[in-house]
Amino acid sequence: MFWIRQIINGITQGSIYALMAIGYSLIFGKLLLVTFAFGEMVVFGVFVSYYLYAIAGLNLFLAVIIALPISWGLGMLVDKICYEKFRDEPRFLMLITTIGFGIFLKSFTQLIFGTGYRSYPNFIEGKIIVGGIRITYIQIFIILTTLLLLYGLNLFFKKTKLGVGIIALSNDLDAAKLVGINVNKSIKFGHSLGVVLGVFGGMMMVSYYNAIGASMGPILGLKAFTVVVFGGITSLPGAIIGGFTLGILENLSVATFGSGYKDIVAFVILILILVLRPSGLLGKKIDLF
Amino acid sequence: MFSNSKISNIIGKLKGIILENKLKIYLIILISAVIFPIITDNQYYIYIGVLTLMYMILASSLNIIVGYTYQYLIGFAGFFAIGAYTTAIITTSYEVNFIFVFLISGIIASIFALLLGIPTSRLGGIFFAFATLGFGEIIRLIIINWDTLTRGTFGIPGIPRPKLFNFIINTNTNFYYFALLILLVQLFISYRVINSRVGRAWLSLKENSEAAKAMGIKIAKYRVLNLMYGTFWAGMGGAFFAYFTQYVSPDTFVLDEGFRIFAMVLVGGMGTLIGPIAGSGLLTILPELVREFARYQLIIYGIAILLIIHYRPQGLFGAKELAQAKVEEKK
Amino acid sequence: MATILKTDKVCKYFDGVKAVDKVSIEVEEGIILGIIGPNGAGKTTLFNVLTGMLAETDGKVIYKNKDITKLSPQDITNIGISRTFQNIKLFDHLSAHENVKIGFHTKTKTGFIDAIFKTKTYKNDEQKVNEKGIKLLKRVGLAEKQEILGQNLSYGDKRRLEIARALAVEPDLLLVDEPTAGMNAKETRTIVELLDKLNDEGITVIIIEHDMGVIMNLCDEIVVLNDGNVISRGDPNYVQNDPAVREAYLGKGAS
Ligand SMILES: Nc1ncnc2c1ncn2[C@@H]1O[C@H](COP(=O)(O)OP(=O)(O)O)[C@@H](O)[C@H]1O
Ligand SMILES: [Mg+2]
Repeated sequence: MFWIRQIINGITQGSIYALMAIGYSLIFGKLLLVTFAFGEMVVFGVFVSYYLYAIAGLNLFLAVIIALPISWGLGMLVDKICYEKFRDEPRFLMLITTIGFGIFLKSFTQLIFGTGYRSYPNFIEGKIIVGGIRITYIQIFIILTTLLLLYGLNLFFKKTKLGVGIIALSNDLDAAKLVGINVNKSIKFGHSLGVVLGVFGGMMMVSYYNAIGASMGPILGLKAFTVVVFGGITSLPGAIIGGFTLGILENLSVATFGSGYKDIVAFVILILILVLRPSGLLGKKIDLF
Repeated sequence: MFSNSKISNIIGKLKGIILENKLKIYLIILISAVIFPIITDNQYYIYIGVLTLMYMILASSLNIIVGYTYQYLIGFAGFFAIGAYTTAIITTSYEVNFIFVFLISGIIASIFALLLGIPTSRLGGIFFAFATLGFGEIIRLIIINWDTLTRGTFGIPGIPRPKLFNFIINTNTNFYYFALLILLVQLFISYRVINSRVGRAWLSLKENSEAAKAMGIKIAKYRVLNLMYGTFWAGMGGAFFAYFTQYVSPDTFVLDEGFRIFAMVLVGGMGTLIGPIAGSGLLTILPELVREFARYQLIIYGIAILLIIHYRPQGLFGAKELAQAKVEEKK
Repeated sequence: MATILKTDKVCKYFDGVKAVDKVSIEVEEGIILGIIGPNGAGKTTLFNVLTGMLAETDGKVIYKNKDITKLSPQDITNIGISRTFQNIKLFDHLSAHENVKIGFHTKTKTGFIDAIFKTKTYKNDEQKVNEKGIKLLKRVGLAEKQEILGQNLSYGDKRRLEIARALAVEPDLLLVDEPTAGMNAKETRTIVELLDKLNDEGITVIIIEHDMGVIMNLCDEIVVLNDGNVISRGDPNYVQNDPAVREAYLGKGAS
């Protein structure tokens, strides 16, 4: 019984990771934008919704709905500052610009919203008991929302011009240019979409755990990165599988070793994958430099 | 207002003057550093001087790793922590000559670097960066959770002052000269290593790893050696920190501390010995001059990194490679 | 004459592309062997497999009676095989002299301790890399340009510097990949003379080259690759008149 509950917790957590990882994979795997500021962007976006709700007194859903376009704008800004000028330059420059931006954004978030942890409300309260196992509504909400979003994304990448364009450009940049895809616009769009997915995942996460802190960014970034590497950097389905795997493993490890070392799980997986199978579960082989 | 070309004209001339008188300028800086505690008796200034020197030691360590082999070590604070805790744990239980304590702290940091370096020796760029971010956090988590050894979040107080025969290193001025000595020794040794077969091997893997292989250079070996050498000095820096503040706690060794030092290296200019010295000097002293800055320190560091990469990628005093890398790619 | 290098049905496939397919060649010690063939024939890939830069799909490489198939590029350099690259790979931000100095890596021993205390080993090594480095630069005609950064050299000088660096390894077998590409007639002649001289001094040379003049002048034996296969081999005269060779070249529309 105990273990089943841990697995359900793991699946919930995994849904969140999957969503964030899809955002990350879109940015890093598909658009080849090296990013070290992803976690910081997520935390900032979530804080915006927190601020609108707790300080400005808006309805929670309204707060979320306003925070998402703001996150979109943040994505545009980051593209402008960290990527646009560096598209055709050695990729480690992007690593440095996003490290710089990450440092900036994290401290900026701390300055505006404070350094401590804030409590973030549940989207939905309540629970049901099925066969003696307690499942909260927020768990159901998270899992269903994730599945729905994944379905929507699948349609977007297969059926819309923009989505197809982004995939085309990740497969073959020159060919994409030839058939008239606006590379700059597609990259900007894809990047912001990735950020918004991450922020939305982040909102569900803090709503699930009820806490948000400005310093959470780097570890969130590490986890999204781990999940993406685990699933195979270029593979969106891989990101989903990776997300669920990390979520479940983390919960099992907490159940076994206590919560002190929970964040280590991601790191251990990361090292193991990088050493044993650098292309991840489903990904193409890519250059580790 | 100056026009852009006027500014670059002035910078160009300044550069010429600096290059022509490089040795003289270094000498003047060194002499000023030596007499600084003599001409001021403001304890606070001297205290800031000690911190600045400590950051110079740390930035110089990180620079060896980031600047000479492009290994983006994000979890640098972890190695600083290992050095500091090694010193704290040893000195609060045993009476050991501080010179040994320093060496042991550096060596233990190097051993951890070996453990991290072996599995990550094939990883570049962001893969290495994230792997080491994880490593730095794990070190912090271990410090927090292994409380029988580290006293967890309480930290370890009561670290005794270093003692040489009957002389106790005690005052800010004592520590100031002590830090200056460590920094000079570090720079001297690094200078020699860099200008040898070992340093050339490091440069070769940063420049072109394929060509390095063709020259028979074992990439993984030299990457790990580089990591071990750089972190040895991070461990020494940690030991100095522990002796100086007499108290260590996990709060000091957060990721931000690593980012701070990273900013110093980048702003000063990686890949030269002098760049990180200038960077840490600038980024430690400036915020002290304008006290309101303290709150915004990391924000400013972040912006400084962005400005540097956009407008002067080699850093204020750095090697030219970065700037050239850009020009080349554009051709 | 002894055989210095032998390949036994060496294959390298990329996702179904048979870049090198069952290539078996023997290289006698002391000769200059030319490898020719249309673009995409697999010449560079063969070099990459020989030097361990690419793992072979199948087959064996024997050097001086020793199986070196599984050795790392570094170990292969260590036992005396050195190379240049078709797409030049210099240490771009280091001076010509530094580039060559790095070439002496396997022939020097300085470690940390030597460097820090300037031991005898360090001093010997530095003297060696400095003096011999300059000598090598002189040999390839770059003595005046030793302080110029790799990236600022002219195209021809870059190729020359690569040869000098490859010689620093003190090889018995030198692999050069299109060493005269992009050079004018005069520059080409200096390279031909240099390779000839090195060969006289006992270095076995394998050269990939498109310039038939160079090949006919320089080589004792020629191997022709096409689509990953050896389609002809023999002395220059024989190969030149082999119908299979003409067909391969004309069919592909190359030189
Ligand atoms: N790293 C690689 N990945 C995939 N295909 C490759 C790679 N290197 C070479 N090839 C392919 O192998 C074939 C032979 O290439 P190469 O050896 O460079 O020819 P050559 O040097 O004779 O011009 C070509 O079809 C080329 O596209
Ligand atoms: Mg070729």
